[in-house]
Amino acid sequence: MTRAKVGAGRALVVGLGSPDRGDDAVGPTVARRVATLLLTGIQVVEREDPTSLIELWGDRDLAVVVDAVCSDGVPGTLVILETGIGGAPLTEDAWTSTGRGGTHAFGLAEAVELARALHRLPRRLVLIGIEAGGLEHGDPLTAPVNAAVERAVEAVYGILSQTGALPSHRNRGSGTRPARAVQEVDR
Amino acid sequence: MSHKLTDGGQVMHVGTLSRVEGEGAMHIEYSGGQATLVQLRIYEPPRFYEAFLRGRAWTEPPDITARICGICPVAYQMSSCGAIEDACGVTVPEAIRLMRRLLYCGEWIESHALHIFLLHAPDFLGYDGAIEMAADHPAVVERGLRLKKAGNDLMDLVGGRSVHPINVRIGGFYKMPSVAELRRIRPVLERARDEAVETVRLVAGFDFPEMEQPYEYLSLRPEVGYPIESGSVVTTAGKAFAVQDFTAHIQEQHVEWSNALHATLDGESPYVVGPLARYTLNFDRLSPIAQDIAREVGLGTTCRNPFRSIIVRAVELVYAYDEAIRIIDGWRDGVAPAVPVPPRAGEGFGASEAPRGVLFHRYVLDDAGIITDAQIVPPTSQNQPSIEADLRTMVQTWSELDDHALSHRCEHAIRNYDPCISCATHFLDLTVKRS
Repeated sequence: MTRAKVGAGRALVVGLGSPDRGDDAVGPTVARRVATLLLTGIQVVEREDPTSLIELWGDRDLAVVVDAVCSDGVPGTLVILETGIGGAPLTEDAWTSTGRGGTHAFGLAEAVELARALHRLPRRLVLIGIEAGGLEHGDPLTAPVNAAVERAVEAVYGILSQTGALPSHRNRGSGTRPARAVQEVDR
Repeated sequence: MSHKLTDGGQVMHVGTLSRVEGEGAMHIEYSGGQATLVQLRIYEPPRFYEAFLRGRAWTEPPDITARICGICPVAYQMSSCGAIEDACGVTVPEAIRLMRRLLYCGEWIESHALHIFLLHAPDFLGYDGAIEMAADHPAVVERGLRLKKAGNDLMDLVGGRSVHPINVRIGGFYKMPSVAELRRIRPVLERARDEAVETVRLVAGFDFPEMEQPYEYLSLRPEVGYPIESGSVVTTAGKAFAVQDFTAHIQEQHVEWSNALHATLDGESPYVVGPLARYTLNFDRLSPIAQDIAREVGLGTTCRNPFRSIIVRAVELVYAYDEAIRIIDGWRDGVAPAVPVPPRAGEGFGASEAPRGVLFHRYVLDDAGIITDAQIVPPTSQNQPSIEADLRTMVQTWSELDDHALSHRCEHAIRNYDPCISCATHFLDLTVKRS
């Protein structure tokens, strides 16, 4: 039951969601792809419980959270929202986490605002949402969401680069994107 | 919001009832200061789990039913394992029972810490929710997060994941944690137990409305220890029966206003399952440290005030850490993670104490181990009539409250049960009609 840890760093990438529930798995799927990039100084984790993010956020310069969202949009559409210390609060309906029956009563938006109240938000917090197409138990990612995974990975990489978390390409570990995962994310 | 009706009555509609699990609504009608109609309306669509379990293999229910709920997946895993093993005539060895109990302690800790600190405490401290409470009481919320995390860590270690564990199988586990792994988590649990004792003192200082539930309480009672992963059924009316007889005593019926079935006990309702019932029927089985703190705060050996359920949950939280430490201290490496459970035709029954009450499972297998019938009776289905009865009793004294205060008080009363609507069917709105 031990889990491989990617080296802890100032910047954090979180894949949020249930790996067994259709498109809710897109957060963890993107996190695993980002982990294969072996980015120096970036910690990549998977989580299902939004409250567990609060302990990860304190003292971070940057955290990127990837999650499935339901906003009646076109499945596979990326929605990017930024907050953090000094950022505007999220409203409860700004980010409706897809996981129901999990911590339904305590979703991502509430975890963000609870962290803000506890002064545990990272300086910058970027939420990347991927519009879900289906959330059935046991189903794989739907085609449009599966097709959005690489775009989401590129969005994560872009944010890390733009914010200085990746000052140069030399920090990209092996320097190329491996064809398959070679390192587990910290779950 | 509220508006007058043409018949002189009044309807109050309070958006979505928050801080409960699932989707539903509460409808209340007043006439002459008396509550004439109280209905808990669960409208989250039924999930048909019982139907799609038919045709599946006997090995599958722990993984399938765990997906019914992200808060109490272990309850579904343990009740289904118990029922399938009962059908197949297998009793697991003591070490496997203990590891199941340890995993279950993790779920109780996660669920009770979430409910006490983030969902229920704001009701007593006068906040709309945990976020507002955190601004004034950051230390309380921080403690809640620490206590919950200890449960997550335990679930991770034993179950392989903190939500929807993946290490459970019919007959036991895929892999047992080692003594070394378990000992690493012990200091975390020890610190958390101390903080849980402080939590009992904290919540016992809240103001509680006076209320005494007259209903029958039902819980499991094992041969040894406080009821968690197994036991036979006992009630405060002196009934006692084996889990195998639960269908003879507990019946479910459809009510037109809810997608969840309502349960009766020997034709009577309401009856109550959950922390109050467990505590009242099993105080003698709590560990000394849990009994001592309960006595210190004046809880007594029984508790029938649903608002005081937050104290009982905190006492159970102390017990869960204490019991987890006891199991870890007694653990030895070298235990086979599972025993074979070959299929055979028959009917099996299982029950365990989910954080919010007894969860019954029943399965019928054919000789190839294919499930031909399945029945799941979750705790919130059993508690729905008592939630309605509590509100019928309480709203009489609350009829002078304004709409906002009344809706808040009703939500508080519902949260006393830590209801999991997701389990019961499968979210909550409040309408109040006054005349």
